[in-house]
Amino acid sequence: MRSWRTELFAGLVGAILVIPQGITFAYIAGLQPEYGLYCAIFVTLFCSLLGSSSMMSGPNTAVAILIGAAILPLAGRGSPLYVDFVFLLCMMVGVVQLVFWLVRGARIFQYLSPAAISGISAGAGFLIIMASLDSILDLSTFKTTFFFEKLFVIFSDAKDLVNPFSLAIAVTTIVAGYVGRRFSPRYFIIIAVTAGYLCGLLVAFIWPQPVTELEYLGRMPLQWLPFNVPTINMEYLMIASTLIPYAVAIAFIGLAQSLVIVRELKMETDQDINLDKEVYAQGVANFLAPFFSGFAGAGSFNRTKANQSLGATTPLSGMAAAGFVLILITFLGPVLTYMPMAAMAGTLFIVGADMIKLRDIKHYAQVRSELFIYLATFTSIMFFDLAAGVVVAVFLSVSVFMLRISQLDLKVETSAAGTVIKVKGALFYASVAHLTEKFHQYMDEDLTVDLQFTTHIDQSAVDFFIRESKGMTNRGKHLTLLVNESQQAFLENLGISKDIRQISL
Amino acid sequence: MKYSQQLVCGALCLLLLNAATAQQNQPSIQQLLREPFLDDYYSNVVYGYEIVTDTQTHASRYVGNSLNCSNCHLQAGTQPDALPLNVAGMYPKWRAKNGKRNGIGLRIRECFLYSMDGIMPPEDAPEVLAISAYVTYLSQGQVMGAEPEGRGVPTLPDTGYDPNPANGRAVYMSQCASCHGQQGEGVADMPPVWGMNSYNKGAGMNNIREAAGFIWANMPLGQGKSLTHQQALDVSAYLNLQIRPADPGRSKFLKLLEYLIN
Ligand code: HEC
Ligand code: HEC
Repeated sequence: MRSWRTELFAGLVGAILVIPQGITFAYIAGLQPEYGLYCAIFVTLFCSLLGSSSMMSGPNTAVAILIGAAILPLAGRGSPLYVDFVFLLCMMVGVVQLVFWLVRGARIFQYLSPAAISGISAGAGFLIIMASLDSILDLSTFKTTFFFEKLFVIFSDAKDLVNPFSLAIAVTTIVAGYVGRRFSPRYFIIIAVTAGYLCGLLVAFIWPQPVTELEYLGRMPLQWLPFNVPTINMEYLMIASTLIPYAVAIAFIGLAQSLVIVRELKMETDQDINLDKEVYAQGVANFLAPFFSGFAGAGSFNRTKANQSLGATTPLSGMAAAGFVLILITFLGPVLTYMPMAAMAGTLFIVGADMIKLRDIKHYAQVRSELFIYLATFTSIMFFDLAAGVVVAVFLSVSVFMLRISQLDLKVETSAAGTVIKVKGALFYASVAHLTEKFHQYMDEDLTVDLQFTTHIDQSAVDFFIRESKGMTNRGKHLTLLVNESQQAFLENLGISKDIRQISL
Repeated sequence: MKYSQQLVCGALCLLLLNAATAQQNQPSIQQLLREPFLDDYYSNVVYGYEIVTDTQTHASRYVGNSLNCSNCHLQAGTQPDALPLNVAGMYPKWRAKNGKRNGIGLRIRECFLYSMDGIMPPEDAPEVLAISAYVTYLSQGQVMGAEPEGRGVPTLPDTGYDPNPANGRAVYMSQCASCHGQQGEGVADMPPVWGMNSYNKGAGMNNIREAAGFIWANMPLGQGKSLTHQQALDVSAYLNLQIRPADPGRSKFLKLLEYLIN
């Protein structure tokens, strides 16, 4: 009975978290804040309605960055044309994701190891921190390729670049957040935002805006149903064709993050989650977002984490969050007008920092390959971008997976009757080599291979047995296979010859 | 070989010439609005035009009253003596310590803060960039650094008398109230000239001489220059005495209260 109240409360916290993110991510995507909030409302709502998990979707850093990168060369930030192109791109993202759903593409993300998932989430946290710096220090946007370049520029030119008022408000927010967490782990984000807001009021009370140059949220006249019909005409279709690579990249990045989150949820909670359904939900939500004046989104690591820590386990919390955003903005509008962006960025900083956990590194340090995957993923996100990180993560996970399953567990028992080799694991082209070594070691003995605990046998393994048995017959030795019934049928199908004695158990 | 080089040269020159002439006869806003597809610059120009003429819908985020830029910058900033916006060549002001802060962007942001009684948008807000693009578009053909004809409002000559608000009230009631209302609230779609929905005490329009120049040249709408200089000064002084939002640079506490109440 208490559960729906938990969900609602988690939704409220989710809404408070998503408002600053929607606004700042809209900014990163080159759009006015309303679009971010509509994304926070409608993408979250559709994903939760159609999905099966308590994942919180909505505005997403990497997606926002990629949208900006795709459209900025084509039109001026935030101009109507720009908005049209963003909508076009988002619909394309939705379509690509639906295609992904049709081919059941979610499977490839099954191979991501938990270490890679933690690495991606830490990397996303790092990106969020870097994005929050812009508003914390009140930098106007400048282009740098690598994060250390940006940090270098900030440090070397701090006197001109950094706005002390903005920094003071952000630091107050962050400190209040960490202190607040000591007392109330549930409400600390609210404590942080309130502290930042009050500090902003104090600053505004002493100095006028032309002196502080502070950036405020401003009025936000949200509509409850912001219907919008995206423009489509010949010229736009031409543009659309040039946007395809971006649409694919965004679709992939969005899904990668969402599915990583969902898998993490699956590992840590006992929710009944269907990956394909989540892909479908993301695709539909992104396709429909432009019809509700929103841009594309994806699952959010930080909000899902917060949601989880508050005990939410159903999509209800996501739907509640969508509703709360609308209510909060409508009724708190006048108060929020004077909300300093620095306070919002401060909460974003906390959220990002929470995603990089020392505990994870210690946890994965036990196994060298896991630690390597974690660090490689994290650093490639730091130095390149999320897309590169995901590719590295998938590649390394699959490689480690391959290496691991090509390892055979071989036990040799020698008795009067001959030598028995017990094979555990999958016997296929990559792992046959191990067996070959053993065969050569016991060249001149009668060999029995116990295949009962072998999980998989492929053609190349069968060929190997046929070859070896021929060689052994020439040397006057015998090869015997210990198999179970289904294996026997299977091996005969693959053409194992009659010279090999098979004992079925 | 030589021929082809000459040909290429000629073609390039033609292209450049073409580009130059195209620059001079830039399309009108009406033409641009009909265009189904615009490049980056022109799409921003159109956006800027939309913000100036309908600030309430296109830049409501930063606006605190019910005015639009074009209520003061008449005819979308194209009318001389009515604060025309073809002033890109006048910015950044030369004494600027850093050009960024004193550029046209700052001027635009100040009008948001004072005239629109709102908050200053960030320097690189899409709205500010679009209005800058529109200002650049309007300034096409002006000489860099030279005052455009009819910049700002005319400076009224000294009449020898102090502005008299009591006379101003009479002028207001007879000449202005039909459009701007008895309480200055604005009848129908007319803009308010005082009250909490008008410009604040920090605005340029709250300066008696500035407003008098504007009123003399442009008001009553459609019959500009029908008032005497003294009448314009009087009515301006009357407007100046009325209640309006506080100057955000001065009484900050009041300002915050106003925001919270509104
Ligand atoms: C209440 C009337 C009013 C409104 C509304 C108003 N302005 Fe102004 N604006 C003025 C006055 C008066 C001046 C010139 C006096 C001054 O410098 O303070 C001015 C000056 C300017 C200038 C500089 C012009 C020059 O000659 O250098 C720009 C640019 C400008 N405004 C932009 C805007 C924009 C953009 C808006 C809408 C967001 C706007 N204004 C709304 C009254 C207004
Ligand atoms: C025919 C109706 C009409 C009359 C009469 C009239 N105005 Fe206006 N006034 C307008 C309109 C309309 C605007 C806005 C201009 C626009 O949007 O194109 C305006 C704008 C103004 C503005 C600047 C915008 C604002 O709201 O602050 C002032 C100041 C002003 N009028 C003062 C006066 C004064 C003083 C008189 C009397 C001498 C007067 N007006 C008479 C219609 C009128």
